[in-house]
Amino acid sequence: MSTEIMEFAELIKTPRVDGVVLHRPFMPTVEGTLCLTGHHLILSSRQDNTEELWLLHSNIDSIEKRFVGSLGHITVKCKDLRVIQLEITGMEECLNIASSIEALSTLDLVSLMYPFFYRPMFEVIEDGWNSFLPQNAFKDLESMTDEWRLSEVNKDFSLCPSYPPLVAVPKDFDDETLKKVATFRHGGRFPVLSYYHKKNGMVMMRAGQPLTGTNGRRCKEDEKLINATLRPGKRGYIIDTRAINVAQQAKARGGGFELEANYPQWRRIHKAIERYNVLQESLIKLVEACNDQSHSMDRWLSKLEASNWQTNVKEILTTACLAAQCIDREGASVLVHGTEGTDSTLQVTSLAQIILDPGCRTVKGFQSLVEREWLQAGHPFQQRCAQSAFSNSKPRHEAPVFLLFLDCVWQILRQFPCSFEFNESFLVLLFEHAYASQFGTFLGNSAAERARLCLPEKTVSLWSWVNRPQELERLTNPLYEPNSLVIWPSVAPQSLLLWEGVFLRWNRSSKCLDEAYEEMVHIIEYNKELQTKVNSLRRQLAQLETEDPLLHTP
Amino acid sequence: MEFAEHIKTANVEDVVLRQPLQPPSRGTLCITGHHLLFSDREESDSRQVLLLLRNIDAIEKRMSGSSGTITMKCKDLRVLQLDIPGMEQCLNIAHSIETLSCLDCVSAMYPFFYRPVDLSLPEQWGLSSPEMHYSQMKELYEKWRLSTVNRDYSVCPSYPPAVIVPKSIDDDTLKKAAKFRQGGRFPVLCYYHKKNGMVIMRSSQPLLGANRKRCKEDELLLQAVIEGSDKGYIIDTRSMQQAQQARMTGGGFESKSFYDRWKRFHRQMERGKALQESLIKLVEACGDESNNMDRWLSKLENSKWLSHVQNALSTAGLLVECVERDGHSVLVHGSEGTDCSLLISTLAQLIMDPCCRTMEGFLGLLEREWIQARHPFQQRCAHSAYSHARLQQESPVFLLLLDCVWQLWRQFPLALGFSEALLLRLATEVYASDYGTFLCNSDQERCALEVKERTHCLFRALLRPTERDYYSNPLYERTELAIWPSVHPQSLQLWKGYFLRWTQQVRHLEEAQEEIRNMVIEWGKLARS
Repeated sequence: MSTEIMEFAELIKTPRVDGVVLHRPFMPTVEGTLCLTGHHLILSSRQDNTEELWLLHSNIDSIEKRFVGSLGHITVKCKDLRVIQLEITGMEECLNIASSIEALSTLDLVSLMYPFFYRPMFEVIEDGWNSFLPQNAFKDLESMTDEWRLSEVNKDFSLCPSYPPLVAVPKDFDDETLKKVATFRHGGRFPVLSYYHKKNGMVMMRAGQPLTGTNGRRCKEDEKLINATLRPGKRGYIIDTRAINVAQQAKARGGGFELEANYPQWRRIHKAIERYNVLQESLIKLVEACNDQSHSMDRWLSKLEASNWQTNVKEILTTACLAAQCIDREGASVLVHGTEGTDSTLQVTSLAQIILDPGCRTVKGFQSLVEREWLQAGHPFQQRCAQSAFSNSKPRHEAPVFLLFLDCVWQILRQFPCSFEFNESFLVLLFEHAYASQFGTFLGNSAAERARLCLPEKTVSLWSWVNRPQELERLTNPLYEPNSLVIWPSVAPQSLLLWEGVFLRWNRSSKCLDEAYEEMVHIIEYNKELQTKVNSLRRQLAQLETEDPLLHTP
Repeated sequence: MEFAEHIKTANVEDVVLRQPLQPPSRGTLCITGHHLLFSDREESDSRQVLLLLRNIDAIEKRMSGSSGTITMKCKDLRVLQLDIPGMEQCLNIAHSIETLSCLDCVSAMYPFFYRPVDLSLPEQWGLSSPEMHYSQMKELYEKWRLSTVNRDYSVCPSYPPAVIVPKSIDDDTLKKAAKFRQGGRFPVLCYYHKKNGMVIMRSSQPLLGANRKRCKEDELLLQAVIEGSDKGYIIDTRSMQQAQQARMTGGGFESKSFYDRWKRFHRQMERGKALQESLIKLVEACGDESNNMDRWLSKLENSKWLSHVQNALSTAGLLVECVERDGHSVLVHGSEGTDCSLLISTLAQLIMDPCCRTMEGFLGLLEREWIQARHPFQQRCAHSAYSHARLQQESPVFLLLLDCVWQLWRQFPLALGFSEALLLRLATEVYASDYGTFLCNSDQERCALEVKERTHCLFRALLRPTERDYYSNPLYERTELAIWPSVHPQSLQLWKGYFLRWTQQVRHLEEAQEEIRNMVIEWGKLARS
């Protein structure tokens, strides 16, 4: 570790500057001492009752510097979309600070990241690394059906580097067959179980695209595997998250889709969900629109429209509704895939579960969903969340896929305000931690990488922190009433709103809205208290009545 | 009764009613002079729909074979459909609805017939009167007086009989000043800011005309308003250019040379036809069933409705800034002084004055600024967004006010004593009502038709305990501060509760609000017992 600290020291030319002025949204201006450490930018003032700034370097998306005389202005734009300003006297100090921030915020080496250095200041009640093990999830499945088994075929990550060591597959398929199927699917992602619908026994599977190529290669084992999930005489649906022409083009690069001739029992539906650069650009444009200071209503609405963000939200939700509809209404099984099966596929499968399964709408259930369908299912968080909306560097693998998923969940939550055990703050928290965190949960790109980095041993899990009473209290929805029904969100454009809690969070004070929320929580708690009181009085009365029959006479 | 001649078929059996958010039901349709009544045949869970014919904005009929379908588009934006067996019956019903829904005769309207058992006609109509208002405002006594110069509506037909004016100005001066203002609407007091003694006055435009007439009495009147202060502000709700053009038609604005202590701002606010068209476009966009996000956002933008909301709120903000921050009195007017002027003076009072933010306070404010100060409701709300009739004087100025108040409520959920439900109720009542409150175009007309003697008052009805519970804001906590709304485009939202009221998703939100409301009511009961 000492060598690592050395490395940081090299990057920090000026560790300390006095008399720095900090401007941040909705807080009074603070003057104080700026300190740079290996992982944090800290500003503390000597005055009491001012809040210190502790900013993770990994949260910094881009910085801009500007000089007026010898006074330097550094604008720090964060991945959580906050923008703060630092005023530093002295050109050299300012340049040093700026270049240090730049270097420290773009460190690529995972093992140098803060989660490896962070030691929790709280008592871990339940270790989050063990909270959502696949074998436990499988126990629930076993209680409902015996048609599936947990395969260890991928235990050394050799068959499919982006899958976890344990996956659920149809019982009658041995590991040898799975190996053959894996060679026929992009990235080795053979079809695995994503969700079992208890109500009618239908299932949702996910996979990578089939590698049919231009000459229409087929794989009998693949066909058999997915056919095994169909009820006799029933058809299933394949939801391809690419437009038909995109899927056609994929053939030229060895990919493709399931041909009707080889999969006669399956109906294929193509849905166009955007990916990669297109999504990243959409986010950049949206954030730019949200920060636009002009007062023109027309311009705002045009820019919002031009960003296409809301269209993306709508397409993803629509596709998820389609998958849910096939399963719940049509009583059919579903296979979802796009190209790699690590982005839009996961958006669709995880949202469909929120629609169908009340269990996913609880705090724990949602964590379990994120763990199963995103972390273990191999969404490359490290790549996708390396940069956010402000970064000037050329995007490589960045895409706000997870943020879009959270936005869609927020839309459903907003439409069904009583059906979720968690509130908006929980979604915002997940967004923040996916981009920059002291916890190890979102590090790495797959279960394999996480195992290699020994994250469970060397870092703290986000869930360890969240699942403590004081945090849970803040993240719980006071209006929650368990709703065992399927909840169908409206996907009409008129029904979808901009997620203010993320996108307008730093340019519009939410003080009044927060106060109202607190007041509501207060009312609900007081109501509960009174209810208990009423119940106990009723009990007392009933008891008195039985003891003293005279009380019956009015 | 005269209605009978319009009703050829009063009853039809076996009609299917389709309405938003509910399954279709089959039953009997009945047309009366003022209502359409539908009752289904389910014995166990019988449902009735009673619709004021006045609420129907447009109807469309379609015949197929021997039956017909009537689509009724209501002024509250609901769309209902009736499947009627028998072509003749269908045509008869359609004809009756068409005729009865747009009868012009005010005295034949339903409020004159509405006699609920639990209400007797009030001794006092309305919540207050200019006289009562003045008598309660002791701060005014020193410098302001109540003038009854308009007691027979001869000086200004659109003003109430009593108005508040500077004490030093006598009735003769007022009469002369009235001649210099359009429609006789001379400057009168509409709000007194207790914190600093500054006031908001409103009037109509001065009648300068092309040859720049002046009126010493008008100047004197305004001078008296800012006695003891260095200056005052005039907010003209028209652009400079519009105000200049108005001179060609006899109107104009206060020139610098004759009103040298008044500083004028021009803020162009849309009114009349443009506003009505904006509403029509917005409602069309909201009803668009294509699932295209771009199209929705473009249409929303093209309707310009949110720009009007923004404009109204920011002009009101300017007014508040003059009074509260800058500490000067303000005169507001546009052309007639019966639309935009009322809109921004009302909003400004809500922003500044905590007394206007309680339910009584708000209804009182509406009564003073819109009923007594005469917004021509009859003309403005004759039709809503669906009507095919040629536009005359229709304009959703009052609806725009309610939308702006909703924006305030959304930004300051604790500061207003009433809830969205009240705004929705008012938005419905203003177009079609059991009550007489929004009938007629002025106080004078109301007197002529004896509205105050022969109809019930909505505002009083809303303040009955049961209704008041329903419409109050469970989260209300009085704040003495001004509530400055953000007018950034990003801060303003479409009023979904109204414009998308009849779609599924709004219902879930309503349920959540209902839940909180029930809790508070329950809580109140428990506290009492």
